[in-house]
Amino acid sequence: MWGIFLESVVIFKNFMGWHENHLLAGLYVFALLYLWLTEKDKTKRAIFVYAPMILLLLFFCPLFRKVFVRIMEDSETYYRLLWLLQMSIVSAYGLIRLMGKHRRIGLAVACLVIAVCGDYVYDSEHISRAENAYHLPQEAVDIVDLIAPEEGRITVLVPADLIYYVRQYSTDIELPYGREMLIDRWDYYHAMYEAMEKAEVIDTPVFAELARTYPCAYVVLKEDREMKEPLTDHGYSVYGQVGEFVIYQDMTLQE
Amino acid sequence: MAAMVSLLFWLLIVPFCIGLVPANFIAKKWRSPGLVLLSGYFVMWALFELAAVPAVLWVEYDNFKTASAVFTVLTLSFAAAGVWLLYRSHKAGKPGPVTGKDKSRSGMRMTDSMGEENDTDVSSAGSIGARTAAFGKWLLRGSGIEWLLFFVLLGFQLYQAVAYASFDGDDAYYVVESLIAQEAGVMYRILPLTGGSTGLDVRHALAVFPMWIAFVSVRAGIHATIVSHVVMPLLLIPLTYLLYYEIGRQLFVKDSQSGGNVFCRENLPVFMILMAVFQIFGNVSIYTTETFFLTRTWQGKAVAGALTIPAVLWLFLLLDGGKREKETEVEKEKEDRRGLWFLFVCVQMSVGICSSIAVFLVSLLTALTAFTLACVRRDLRLLLKFGAACIPNMIYMAIYVIVAYSYLL
Repeated sequence: MWGIFLESVVIFKNFMGWHENHLLAGLYVFALLYLWLTEKDKTKRAIFVYAPMILLLLFFCPLFRKVFVRIMEDSETYYRLLWLLQMSIVSAYGLIRLMGKHRRIGLAVACLVIAVCGDYVYDSEHISRAENAYHLPQEAVDIVDLIAPEEGRITVLVPADLIYYVRQYSTDIELPYGREMLIDRWDYYHAMYEAMEKAEVIDTPVFAELARTYPCAYVVLKEDREMKEPLTDHGYSVYGQVGEFVIYQDMTLQE
Repeated sequence: MAAMVSLLFWLLIVPFCIGLVPANFIAKKWRSPGLVLLSGYFVMWALFELAAVPAVLWVEYDNFKTASAVFTVLTLSFAAAGVWLLYRSHKAGKPGPVTGKDKSRSGMRMTDSMGEENDTDVSSAGSIGARTAAFGKWLLRGSGIEWLLFFVLLGFQLYQAVAYASFDGDDAYYVVESLIAQEAGVMYRILPLTGGSTGLDVRHALAVFPMWIAFVSVRAGIHATIVSHVVMPLLLIPLTYLLYYEIGRQLFVKDSQSGGNVFCRENLPVFMILMAVFQIFGNVSIYTTETFFLTRTWQGKAVAGALTIPAVLWLFLLLDGGKREKETEVEKEKEDRRGLWFLFVCVQMSVGICSSIAVFLVSLLTALTAFTLACVRRDLRLLLKFGAACIPNMIYMAIYVIVAYSYLL
């Protein structure tokens, strides 16, 4: 039980970003305590003080965590219990109560404190300038435009960089494997993925044979991807190039 | 152009007309255009759950097309009912379901939507010069600067949502599900990650928010990925702030019994600014509702965290807020809450289309909050009332369990 409790503590710390010195949780706890001491309205006390406190107790309760994980069959989403606290609303309300009549100076100080304790969302490494209306990398769009069939569907082997995007643009393109292979903790095995991504140098004969079992009409590789032998020696021809990606067409499927 | 008209129709006009239905059964003091629009969305999403979940479970071929047809009939029927109720109340001279104002009031308070405490009454008959002067006065002396600042922050978030792409691996699942529904007309029968056929994945199949996006995409004739990544943020970010505005209206309602410095409408824009700043700087980890809200706005779980869960709190404030100990039964009866209870049920159902786990979470939140309210009010009937409102969620969870464990039967 102690171990489960400690797991919950780690989840809470990760959720609140304590390991990166973010202190918005402190602001929330401060607002919660302030409301506990000063809020007179029974409804607001029940919604913003008592219910969150019971929720926090439940969150750290090992027995509750065991039941949650058993019901949901998933321990990875336990952090979502903290969504119910609605920290922003409670914190904002508590801060405004604290400001009293010093509205403008209070607002300026509160914004400063939030900015210092929090983390700016738009400097995330996952956010970049949109290249098109789809918000997908333009290379993925161009490649699909080049190889998409006029009718029906085809299977295409693409490098990990494109796996997330190809089917967001066109579901006429099917893949031998998807993003599930890119998440290490899921620990899936797929022979094609091993041959495509894990091998330091692609073993061309084995690779070509595997790709034909699906069969992959096209294989997309980065131009600097190392191969034992060129794919063109194994029934493929270069169909085109988009940026750093070379598109090979399996000519044996054309026969 | 046709796409824009279609988006306006399905994302603004239809939800607004639907929202007139519950608004008609809510006491006039709570009515506002914001409440009508929010209500419309929650009712519409509840209707979508009713149309889509049975189709996912029991229709094998073209289940998306079937769900879309049923949903279209349901929504247009509700929208027509809303318009009829509006017409009926107008004809009877009753307070309108949109603003709750009597027809006899000809004056228009410009500040109604931005705080009633400002001293700027602007007659609709006033000249443009007088209006401009009054607006300038409101901007400088009232809470205009704060509202301006809030709208700058909102505009900044909308700009970021359109001009910048936010990568999230889950899009390979959710966005592709929408696109499959749009292109192939089927829901949850094709594996989005690869394109192979698949059995029903109950964890995702009951949370049909991507299918609602697909519905919008089909009706507007816009690629589902563009709708997800561009149209949805432009819709859901303002809609979420509209909810926060409505929550603020309940929190900072003028109350002479409490401190006048806190419970006044000048604090409403301050609340909105703080909420906006919390969203922008709430990225303390990848798990927070704030991060979800601005980086994966179009995903059902983000909508659950930022919109539907706060909506539950909003309705708790509306349903239980403002009660005084000395309030008589007669006074209570005057406050028509039927529409609010209907809305509460619809919000609970809306959570179901967003995320299956969120159904469990919201049921827990409802149970806990109802319990604490029952304790502080010393009224155990509250538990029964809120418990009854959770019945759709219980049915949802029962379906989830039956489908998930049907292989054992």
